[in-house]
Amino acid sequence: MYGWIWRHLPGPRPVRLVEAFVLVAAIIALLMFVVFPWAEPLLPFNNVTTPS
Amino acid sequence: MVERATEVIPRIVYDHEDVLPKPEPETVKVRRPTLPPVDGPVRKAVRAFGELMITAGLVILLFVVYEVYITDLISAGKQDEATTALDDQWKDSNTVAPVDPQRQAQYDLIEGKAFAKMYVPVFGPDYKFSIVEGTTDKHLEVGPGHYVGTALPGNPGNFAVAGHRVGKGAPFNDLDLLSSCDAIVVETQTNWVVYRMLPTEGEEAGWTEGKAKNPKCAKVAPLKDKANPDNSAYAKTVGQEIVTPQQGEVISPVPHYSGELPAAQQVALMTLTTCHPRFSDKQRLIVHAVLTMSYPKAPGFLPPELKEQ
Repeated sequence: MYGWIWRHLPGPRPVRLVEAFVLVAAIIALLMFVVFPWAEPLLPFNNVTTPS
Repeated sequence: MVERATEVIPRIVYDHEDVLPKPEPETVKVRRPTLPPVDGPVRKAVRAFGELMITAGLVILLFVVYEVYITDLISAGKQDEATTALDDQWKDSNTVAPVDPQRQAQYDLIEGKAFAKMYVPVFGPDYKFSIVEGTTDKHLEVGPGHYVGTALPGNPGNFAVAGHRVGKGAPFNDLDLLSSCDAIVVETQTNWVVYRMLPTEGEEAGWTEGKAKNPKCAKVAPLKDKANPDNSAYAKTVGQEIVTPQQGEVISPVPHYSGELPAAQQVALMTLTTCHPRFSDKQRLIVHAVLTMSYPKAPGFLPPELKEQ
């Protein structure tokens, strides 16, 4: 998977390094700001209330 | 000196170049042909599986970082906004204590908006949170949330507040460390309201001989009726308890009491709820506190309870 992505990144090695870095940053941002906030209420960690 | 050094160095470098590089190409050439075919289906599958596992592990690690640190940052911003809005609201309106105590109940309660502040002096002088109205996930992201419909600070009944224990500012992170008689100070628009944690179940028996002598405990005593300890309305109201998530009776006006008690006979309680154990929602940690003091707000006045350690 990682090898496949690396082979399909265009450009010479330094450009690919930058591209890979941007890709990783984009995925982390997607997880932090979209996926985790969506998934968190579905997980059994943080319910602090009792029914009123 | 300089001439000698330049003579020596080239000789050493030359020696290394002469000895080392020669055997290397040979070993590389021998190894290359023994490599298996580059990408057989099994190799591909095993590699893909391994990479997926590594990726899943990284994602879970990132989730922990999100839960414990990133949500704190987001919540800190929201808490600051709520506090600023509350301060503005208090500044705009007249903060002189009303003559008629009934007026105290007339807060503008808007869900998601802060209406009071809470301080727990034993958690340090910087422990300060604005309490918002409502207890949905969205509200609790801002700060501790007041259960809609439960009593208001200082009033008879049960002023119930929920808060996160992990992430999202974690206002109730150390709720388990609160011990009986510790003060919880609530600041409303007009009053300072001081609650103190009730004796725990284990402390109740020897209360008068034991902890009651502590000056902090002057107005704290087990709520249960001594003449009828098992059947009085407050028989089950103790300082700390751990309950199942379904036990909503902990925030009812008289906790765990199924009968009706007239409002005039109700004690003014404060109840804090959070998850238990930490990082889990299997149970709820509940702390009950009783009203011991109330001061009207005045410019420059701070309740002495805030300085307790």
